[in-house]
Amino acid sequence: MSLDRLAHYQNSDGGWPYRRGASWTEPTAYAVLALLAAGESEKSRRGIAWLLKMRRKDGGWPACAGVDESGWTTALVAMLPPDILGPDVHHDAIEWLLGETGEESSWVYRLRAYLSGSPPPPEQSAPGWPWVPGAAAWVGPTSLALLALNRQMTRSGAPTPRIQKRLAEGRRFLLNRMCRSGGWNHGSVNALGYPADAYPETTGMALTALRGLRARQIEGSVGLAARFLAECRSADAFNWLRLGLAAHGALPVEYRPPEQIQFRTVPEIAIDMLISAQAL
Amino acid sequence: MNSRITRREWIAGAAIGAAGAPGCRFSRPVAQNVRPSTVTIVRATAYDQKVYAKVRSMFESHRLDVRGRSVVLKPNLVEFEPGSSINTNPLLVHAAYEAFREMGAASVRIAEGPGHRRDTLDLAEAAGYFKTVPGFEDNFIDLNVDDSTRIHPARQFSRLEKFYLPNSVLGADLLVSMAKMKTHHWTGATLSMKNLFGVVPSGIYGWPKNVLHWAGIHECIADLHAAFPRQFAIVDGIVGMEGNGPIQGSAKNVGVLVAGKDPIAVDATCCRIMQIDPLRIGYLQLAGGEARLAERNIVQAEESIAAVSTPFELIPQLRDFRLRQS
Repeated sequence: MSLDRLAHYQNSDGGWPYRRGASWTEPTAYAVLALLAAGESEKSRRGIAWLLKMRRKDGGWPACAGVDESGWTTALVAMLPPDILGPDVHHDAIEWLLGETGEESSWVYRLRAYLSGSPPPPEQSAPGWPWVPGAAAWVGPTSLALLALNRQMTRSGAPTPRIQKRLAEGRRFLLNRMCRSGGWNHGSVNALGYPADAYPETTGMALTALRGLRARQIEGSVGLAARFLAECRSADAFNWLRLGLAAHGALPVEYRPPEQIQFRTVPEIAIDMLISAQAL
Repeated sequence: MNSRITRREWIAGAAIGAAGAPGCRFSRPVAQNVRPSTVTIVRATAYDQKVYAKVRSMFESHRLDVRGRSVVLKPNLVEFEPGSSINTNPLLVHAAYEAFREMGAASVRIAEGPGHRRDTLDLAEAAGYFKTVPGFEDNFIDLNVDDSTRIHPARQFSRLEKFYLPNSVLGADLLVSMAKMKTHHWTGATLSMKNLFGVVPSGIYGWPKNVLHWAGIHECIADLHAAFPRQFAIVDGIVGMEGNGPIQGSAKNVGVLVAGKDPIAVDATCCRIMQIDPLRIGYLQLAGGEARLAERNIVQAEESIAAVSTPFELIPQLRDFRLRQS
């Protein structure tokens, strides 16, 4: 059923839109991952061809055609298997990710902050990933980059020191950005001194990225994610909360989303398929 | 004519402006021949059926001719907290939707691209849009993932030379910014101009649209204002937000709707209603200059500012923004 829906949404150029319109990198990457997990080859092959056409010279991917800069969607493409994407292409995507950090981690920013007498706050002590180069790091792109690097580490068996370093930094970034409630929002722990609330979807994303990490704080995060799962109605949030809880062994095996949850977008449909196939 | 401001002009303007208005780094002199803009202030004490007639009347008083045209309504949809006043009330958006349909618009779409939450439809549902606007989903565009085109704004204020903006908004005959009347802990106030941050697609720029912050919030607001020349602004001041806005503040009953064809004049008027000095709002200074913000250059229709003005609580960092009564 979901396979048919994904197939229905595929554009004639081989890529996928979010719902309708032009092809974008995010839905295309998720759709290809889901189709590969389901054993489908023809449509995924056309999707990969679209992705390869979108690839930029610096080794990264733009969000969609017409955007002349690589960004956060590179992490999604880097989750694809190297033999499917092409070993060199995949290698360059990982390299692009390894070279990217939030602007607040740059030495220029830190020097300016030091000279102005306002040292960066503690939550900026570890570098994460920005949505697009030249901006600060946030929870969403950092979680996705960690997922891509985790996959690479699992595949290679012997991760390079650079990958290990960035994985450790990224995990520290996420722990630093944890809200007081134990969850995560887009990445602001507080606003003008007032504690900010966590969101279900970003809490799920961060927990997914922190798979395997044993830390005292994570127990509270898992509890919050379970409460979010019982209350929220968003398909995106349900997907990431299920992934996050499963990553920490806290999702009941037979858990199914309530019937009223509507999987409206291609990423929502594709991630739901990946969860069913236990492939993300 | 090339209206782009060079760096030298900007530095010179900033220096002169700063001398004229100490403490505001955005002050700059502009041509003083200003054509007055009309801004309508209407009392509306509740989100009830009376709002429909008031909104229609406001549009007609501004002689908006939308027959056969495409209209995009852009509410302010940020987050949802039960009982909060963060978002533009859906009843007001529906009133505008109905009014434009009755006035002969070929299409009326509701469009938004929230900057924090990815699931826009879920946010809209939680904020009451599905319940209040019949067929909401069919008439709604998630601007975060709408097909986009690279444009260069008519005037550039920030260091961003280009923006990727949604085709649905770029192609509209009329963009109606439907903001909430709120304080903003960084900019002082968030009104119809700041509301345009929501048209910038997060699918490209991310959640949040942090590139705009790094390039200067005030400057980017002025850029976006310049990118959309066919606008109408209507601000939901029936219940606004004071204190630590735009998310964590408190509800403020004001009981007004404020509207006009010139978003700069509408926002300056809203500031005065909130008892905030519009000359202290950086993006208003950049986009309008002092002359356009001057009260004498804004024609107030219906209610006067004095009749509806009420002080919005300001966080300590914004204490200097308080409008001094003359």
